[in-house]
Amino acid sequence: MVSAVLGVPLLVLILLAPMAGALMIALLPEHRPALIRRVAVTAASLSLAGAVYAILTYNTAAGGYQHEVCVPWIHSLGIGFHLGVDGISVVLVLLHALCAFTGVLISYAIPQRVKEYFIFYLTLITGVFGVFLSLDLFFFYFFYEMAVIPMYPLIGVWGSDVKERGVVKFSKEYATMKLTIYLTLGAVVALVGLLWLYVSAGATTFDLVALQQQFAGSPLDPGLQRAIFPLLAIGFGVIAPMWPLHSWSPIGHAAAPSAVSMLHAGVLMKLGSYAIIRLAVGLLPAGAQTWLPWLAVVCVMNIVYGGLVAMAQRDLKLIIGYSSSSHMGYVLLGIACLSPLALNGAVLLMFAHGIMTALAFALVGHLYDQTHTRYLPDLGGLAHQAPFIAGCGVIAAMASSGLPGLANFVAELLVFLGGWVVYPVQMILGVLGVVITAIYMLRLVRGTFFGPSKPVFARVTDATTAFAKLPYLVLIGALLAVGCWPGPLTRIIASATEPFIQQATQQPVRAATLTSTTQPESHSP
Amino acid sequence: MIDIPTIPWCALAPELAVATWILLLLVATLCVPAHRQSVLSHLAVLGIVVAAGLLVWASQHPSASGGTAMLSLDRFGGYFKGLLLLATAVVIVMTRLPRQLLTHVGAFYLLLYTALLGALILVSVNNLLLLFLGLELLTFSLYIMAAYVKTDPRSVEAGMKYLILGSVSSGFLIYGIALLYGMAGTITFTGVRAAFANTQPTPVAGQVGLYLILAGLGFKVAAVPFQLWVPDVYEGAPTPVVAMLSVGSKMAGVVAMLRLLDGLVAPVQWVWTPVLAVISAATMLYGNLGAIPQTNIKRLLGYSSIGHAGYLLMGIATATPESAAAISYYLLAYLCSNLAVFLVVVIVGGATGSDSLDEYRGLSRRSPGLAAAMFIALLSLAGVPPLAGFVGKLLVLLSAVKGQRLWLVAIGAVNVAISLYYYLTVVKRMYLEAPNTSSSIRITPLAAATLAALVLGIVVVGVYQQPFLAYIRSTL
Repeated sequence: MVSAVLGVPLLVLILLAPMAGALMIALLPEHRPALIRRVAVTAASLSLAGAVYAILTYNTAAGGYQHEVCVPWIHSLGIGFHLGVDGISVVLVLLHALCAFTGVLISYAIPQRVKEYFIFYLTLITGVFGVFLSLDLFFFYFFYEMAVIPMYPLIGVWGSDVKERGVVKFSKEYATMKLTIYLTLGAVVALVGLLWLYVSAGATTFDLVALQQQFAGSPLDPGLQRAIFPLLAIGFGVIAPMWPLHSWSPIGHAAAPSAVSMLHAGVLMKLGSYAIIRLAVGLLPAGAQTWLPWLAVVCVMNIVYGGLVAMAQRDLKLIIGYSSSSHMGYVLLGIACLSPLALNGAVLLMFAHGIMTALAFALVGHLYDQTHTRYLPDLGGLAHQAPFIAGCGVIAAMASSGLPGLANFVAELLVFLGGWVVYPVQMILGVLGVVITAIYMLRLVRGTFFGPSKPVFARVTDATTAFAKLPYLVLIGALLAVGCWPGPLTRIIASATEPFIQQATQQPVRAATLTSTTQPESHSP
Repeated sequence: MIDIPTIPWCALAPELAVATWILLLLVATLCVPAHRQSVLSHLAVLGIVVAAGLLVWASQHPSASGGTAMLSLDRFGGYFKGLLLLATAVVIVMTRLPRQLLTHVGAFYLLLYTALLGALILVSVNNLLLLFLGLELLTFSLYIMAAYVKTDPRSVEAGMKYLILGSVSSGFLIYGIALLYGMAGTITFTGVRAAFANTQPTPVAGQVGLYLILAGLGFKVAAVPFQLWVPDVYEGAPTPVVAMLSVGSKMAGVVAMLRLLDGLVAPVQWVWTPVLAVISAATMLYGNLGAIPQTNIKRLLGYSSIGHAGYLLMGIATATPESAAAISYYLLAYLCSNLAVFLVVVIVGGATGSDSLDEYRGLSRRSPGLAAAMFIALLSLAGVPPLAGFVGKLLVLLSAVKGQRLWLVAIGAVNVAISLYYYLTVVKRMYLEAPNTSSSIRITPLAAATLAALVLGIVVVGVYQQPFLAYIRSTL
């Protein structure tokens, strides 16, 4: 089924609207920032509308890849411009569209070099959409790398140094270079894996669907799979960010301007986990059987280590940054379980955590603009001046700690339920992470918003206009909607994960414990 | 008894046009008065246009080539001739920009044309003697061009260094040719190839001769361990010469190597492919690691060009038709990106009078267009999608994966990240740092148009690969 808007296929519209916006902004004069912002918002809203339409029209009964577009691109190598969404990617496309839209709104606060900023920002948005939409390994990598590079100027120019008591702890130049080099190194490691995979499969096609069909009939040699799997898992794991390769991430978050942190923590990290699901586990099931137990161990390190380090931080963005790397551990753990229920949880958690983190970074960005500090001991009592922001902050903290009624609770519960039978020890340690999260999140909320009003912050203003409140309300609305009524979303996700797990476990090499223990009876608690 | 073959005049038309233009330029240099020097550059550009036209015309009149012919005038060579003409045209544009140190441009164009002729011969070489002649014609012109600014001691030093090291490498080359001649009794590629195929085991003289020739060519493409001249020559020589050196000379050297290794010593692949693979890895690492501490943009680009030579050698070491296609694509991408970078270097160098990296501070504030072009071109050199360099690197890596050389692929992949680091240090100065002065850099319309065309080329070659790749495959 190809649906089109004015002759443009839906997914092409979602993908190219931000790119078209960037090109248009490149042609606009620099002294018209209002016009530039309006173009950017229009581009992001078009993508958002497309993403909402795609998820509303997604046919769960049919499943599989929908809204497909396929144009042969390089004939001799079997590369095609192949777009499509299944139950997993359609949810992530919606996540990215929401974060991109609210991010553009938050970017209204960018005071200088507006034109360059939005060109880079919209290029970044295009790249991320491309990764989620591509069903071709070449274009997957193509867009992946395209999403990484704009981060360099975005953080380097518009970011801020990470300071503690006025002393620069990490300069933004350091943070952005570290981020770019880490991610590029990860990407090229994954590229070697992808090329090896392509050549081992007969070097006829880069098409993901065709490769899946080919491997369903004649799987790759298990030894080869075991060799390629770590390349993909580690290469894409860098961005996930997998312990111990996570150290670029909290610093990068902390130095980035808020709208970039929103996309970075909200969506970019999910590129890694998405790639691990789609490529590493999806194409190399035998490799997955061997390596996923190791991944489960690494995830626990992510959760516990990330959480403990977050507890030790005093910079608001560093706290949320380490918290993100801790929470991505649950996502990876859900993937490592290789059961439909846990995988549903992992995908839903990607969505929930993305929205929650985007909200948190947007709030911190607002506070930093007003108070010019993110150092926790300097803050306090801001609920007096900014009740709306404080309210949103409490909701974000509750979501992060996994309180019922918000999307994260549902997602984490699914991961724990699905994973319990597979990795009981890891799950117990993982639940410990929830407690750690509650500690640092409550401390953050108390230290920032509550307590006596401080006179230095007397001139801090709240988000007063409806326009300023819009991004926060959109994100909270999404958290609440999915938290209270997860059924529709989990049904969509399950329509993709069940066949996926079936395919991934129906391989000659199979771990007995992983089959038939978890039947997908209930997806919506 | 010497056989005088019928000469395929049609197919030779581009070379003949260039040779004719050398004479024309010589006469014109003597006739045109000093204040009318722009006539000379118009004449030089016209020559390129004529040669390009004849190249298109000649490609429709294929001649019987290969065999014992001294030149193989095939479409594969034609593709590179087109690229060489393009590169020369951009170099001529560079000499037309304001505040260049070059005086007496007439003689400069003359040398540029002799270098071009040498390069044109090299890309279609099919004979050991002609290999030597083409190479000498190319490098002799470049020796003089490197030392062209007589008043600048750095330029003279660059020319001198290049001359001394270049002569030694020519010695290697001619000695190697002599050894191969001694083994095979002929200087045609076909004859030597047959001798290699028929003599088992391969005689020591043949192997040594082969390595000596590789050493001579390795000097031209700046492969480790023959790369030591590069940073100094790049820093000292006038920037348009460096552009010719890094694009034209390197391309000619790489294609000559391809022809040599494919046509001449294919029967003894096991001898040279492992050696080349090791050299490729060393070259990539040396170039990219060496570029990191540089503070002069031309030195940095010198090291970067060594790094790129490493990737090209990776393709040569793989030695399949597919790797030849990958190299062709890589060279196209490298040409667009590197010429764009050097054009910016010429413009910035002309405006600030220095090639220090600090001159690039805040360039995005001073001249946004220039900074954007530099940003795109540098990222393309690093191999970032959606730009041309990415596809070139991907194809080379892919061919090496198919050639079962994963360790080399791993080194090549890691080098992408290393090179990105130092290219980003330039981007950092342009975008992240504050400018030294706020005055904008003026760009002439000619330079702006050329730069825009090159950047457009980088994007198109990077995004819409099919027609280019299909054409390249059809020339093999």
